[in-house]
Amino acid sequence: MLHSLVARTVISYMLVFTVPMLLPLAFFKLVGLGGLRELVTYEAKDTPLHRLDPRLKVLYPVAMGILSILLTWSFMLIVFGLTLLPWFWLRPSRQRIRVLLVMVIGPALGGFWDQGLYYLPKPPIHFLYQFPWTISWMGSPGITTYGMVFGLEQSARVLVVVSTSMLILVSTDVGDFTWAFERFGAPPAMGFALTAALRFLPEMISRTTLVLRAVELRGYDLSRPRWYQVGRWLDYVRRAGRCVVLVTVPLLVGTLRGTTTMAMVADARGFGVNRKRGSLRVHKLTPVDIVGYAVLVVLVGGALVLHHYRIGARVYG
Amino acid sequence: MELAVSPGELVLITGASGCGKSTLALALAGLIPSRVHGELRGRVLFDGEPLSGLSPHEASQFVGLVFQNPNLQLINMTVQSEVAFGPENLALPQAEIAARVEWALDVTGMAGLRTATVATLSGGQKQRTAIAATLAMRPRLLVLDEPLSDLDPVGAQEVLGTLRRLAADEGTGVIVIEHRVDEVVPWADRIVLMDDGRIILDRPPRGVWDDVGPWIATGVGIPDVVRLAQALPDTFPAGAPLSVEEAIDALRGGWFEAALVGRQARRRSTRYDDGSAGSAYGRPGREPPQEVTDLPSGPNASPPVLSWQDVTVSFGGTRAVDDVSLAIRDDEWVALIGANGSGKSTLVGLSVGIGSPASGQVAFRGGPIKPGRIFEHAAHVALLLQAADEMLFATHVLAELEFGFKFRGKPKDPVLDVPGAIEFFGFGGLQEASPWELSQGGRQRLALAALLVGAPGVLVLDEPTTGQDADHLRAFLSLLDRIRERTGLTVITVTHDMRAVASRASRVVLLGDGEVKLDGPPSRVFARTAELARWGILAPPLARLQSALLGAPDEVLLSVRALVDAVLPYRPATLQAR
Repeated sequence: MLHSLVARTVISYMLVFTVPMLLPLAFFKLVGLGGLRELVTYEAKDTPLHRLDPRLKVLYPVAMGILSILLTWSFMLIVFGLTLLPWFWLRPSRQRIRVLLVMVIGPALGGFWDQGLYYLPKPPIHFLYQFPWTISWMGSPGITTYGMVFGLEQSARVLVVVSTSMLILVSTDVGDFTWAFERFGAPPAMGFALTAALRFLPEMISRTTLVLRAVELRGYDLSRPRWYQVGRWLDYVRRAGRCVVLVTVPLLVGTLRGTTTMAMVADARGFGVNRKRGSLRVHKLTPVDIVGYAVLVVLVGGALVLHHYRIGARVYG
Repeated sequence: MELAVSPGELVLITGASGCGKSTLALALAGLIPSRVHGELRGRVLFDGEPLSGLSPHEASQFVGLVFQNPNLQLINMTVQSEVAFGPENLALPQAEIAARVEWALDVTGMAGLRTATVATLSGGQKQRTAIAATLAMRPRLLVLDEPLSDLDPVGAQEVLGTLRRLAADEGTGVIVIEHRVDEVVPWADRIVLMDDGRIILDRPPRGVWDDVGPWIATGVGIPDVVRLAQALPDTFPAGAPLSVEEAIDALRGGWFEAALVGRQARRRSTRYDDGSAGSAYGRPGREPPQEVTDLPSGPNASPPVLSWQDVTVSFGGTRAVDDVSLAIRDDEWVALIGANGSGKSTLVGLSVGIGSPASGQVAFRGGPIKPGRIFEHAAHVALLLQAADEMLFATHVLAELEFGFKFRGKPKDPVLDVPGAIEFFGFGGLQEASPWELSQGGRQRLALAALLVGAPGVLVLDEPTTGQDADHLRAFLSLLDRIRERTGLTVITVTHDMRAVASRASRVVLLGDGEVKLDGPPSRVFARTAELARWGILAPPLARLQSALLGAPDEVLLSVRALVDAVLPYRPATLQAR
């Protein structure tokens, strides 16, 4: 019976749509709009990671990004494992771990699934499940092992950069970023732009949450149907879409007012009075910093050497 | 306008909303016309040198400006980096930056929170951080635009004390722009009253209310102790007191005190004779005492319209609301008071399904309020947010009023119908106007009207009077009075404005550390000045006055008229003859 055209069509549709439908569901259930704040909010703690040289922290995701581009899949796994280790050092809150996992694994899972469906190797192709002709309009002949492995590889490369960047965002005060950028010769305006973005993104999310509450208080139904109320989901999507239009004006007005005030505050605090800024921060290199720099140099240098000798190096073209 | 401020002087600038106070602040800081468009005629001089020609960041080294909303003026992530931001911009040596940061944090009492993340600070702490950040620039003139608007009364006094010390010890000139006149006056060296862009009064505080004409004309509130002195001029031979403490000194040992003590003794003996309860007692089995008498309770009381039963709300490891039980009955006007972070907004949020209690139940007329079902519960409990602007979504006034009908349908029994609301709230002829064309007060009225054209059983107002001058405050409270008169609506107000509470509320609930600490009529709750102070609340001036003169009174009179009426029969014949 499972081999009948109808059963195969149903199974195929389920395979195609399950993951894309699970991802937004996981976002709403486990993260929500408020949870997005956890992604970019600095968590003030006194861990060795927090005390690391900010310049090293800025270089770290860049270096890991280079490795993820240069190395082959098997070496990539080692790099990916290495990027996870500092998280144990940081000990983030459960809430943050939940948000990070959903926001990092979700897109990765999406990529893995997407490649499994649409990345086709040269024949002969090994299908995990071959779709019937009734679903051919989707453009995928079925799920391939090769595609999934390829998707996993690509996702892991992205995850390395995302994981390292998140780690640094969570453990570094924006002022330290600015300090590091300025030590690298970047103009103060760049540091200020970064500071403003990171400081006010959570503020923007809070305001959006407030306006969404306000629209409900005014009688707008934003309640989500239960997963089994299939008939109501379309209406929910329509209502949510319309709500975006409704809340845009108050959000825009509030944001514009906020940015105007922020610009005046920057002026009032003398931003731009000098080309070079001073700094409260004095960073003396610690043994941990030195080890960190050494590890970074060894990793990147090692990768370049391996690449030169075609060991573990990605082949392009 | 001609205005001069000396080093070490603390000047209060006040006036009705829209009289030009904030514009003056922006001009002083060099932000007009470079950042805020406008035409500037005349000159702003600093030490005789023109400031007007300087760019804002150059002017910032002389004049520091603290803006109204602390949320929008904290750019950095932590307190320390925020305070260091200005000196870093000045490219000062590291040692100098560190010294300035240390000093500014010390002066503002924020040293213990230097590494705290800005997002985790209370409103008062944010305000102090903003002041510290400006102070670190070492301006010789500090201008603060409504620095008390987000502060509870005790927090406000702390900030004012800081500013006073700054002026006295550092010689910094300080300009405070504020509506809360009675709180600032005891700390000020000069009072400047503005009207329609002009200064109409500029003099030291002593005698500033000798002529109340300008104050009444501008609609700026006159402190209660001043009004008391005007009602009983013979009792205050040295003139109107500037603070409650001065009033206490003037009245102690005189006929006024004797009259109050006599009145209290007579009331106590009458109470105990007729078998009624004493001054206050605790809820059985619960310490410390919470409930003050005179509230309907027990089997004969009407069923509650809104109730919280053993409700606890936690955020992370912190209990924002801790095992609270509270029942609000029909026709009550309940004021929920408490220091910043005491759990007031969290508690009222639960009444419409905002937030989720870890335990306990919230109910409207016995029906449970489910977390997250805001749309459903908002039909019964109308919540007006402090940021009323965020509640406006339509393109014109009429559409705003009819906004809810499109989604919920027209209610069968609205508190007000749309034409009635237009007439009642004074929107006649403005139906097609954009909400953004209305004044701030107008937008707040529109948001309120839009809630009332539904059929709510309870109206909850979250900080509705913040930043309003006395005239607008009076108008808003009168509006609420009329709404209650017409509709009999139950009202719950979350507020820091004790004058508004004293004049209107039928019941006051004090929250502290997420628990109900006091609950009773305003006359009884405000008599507990020491307990209120412990939880960050400064009782209204008249309550503090009576408390000081009577020791530990059971109740206090909260209006000047009632107080004068109560003591006048005992005024000495010699004074009566005069």
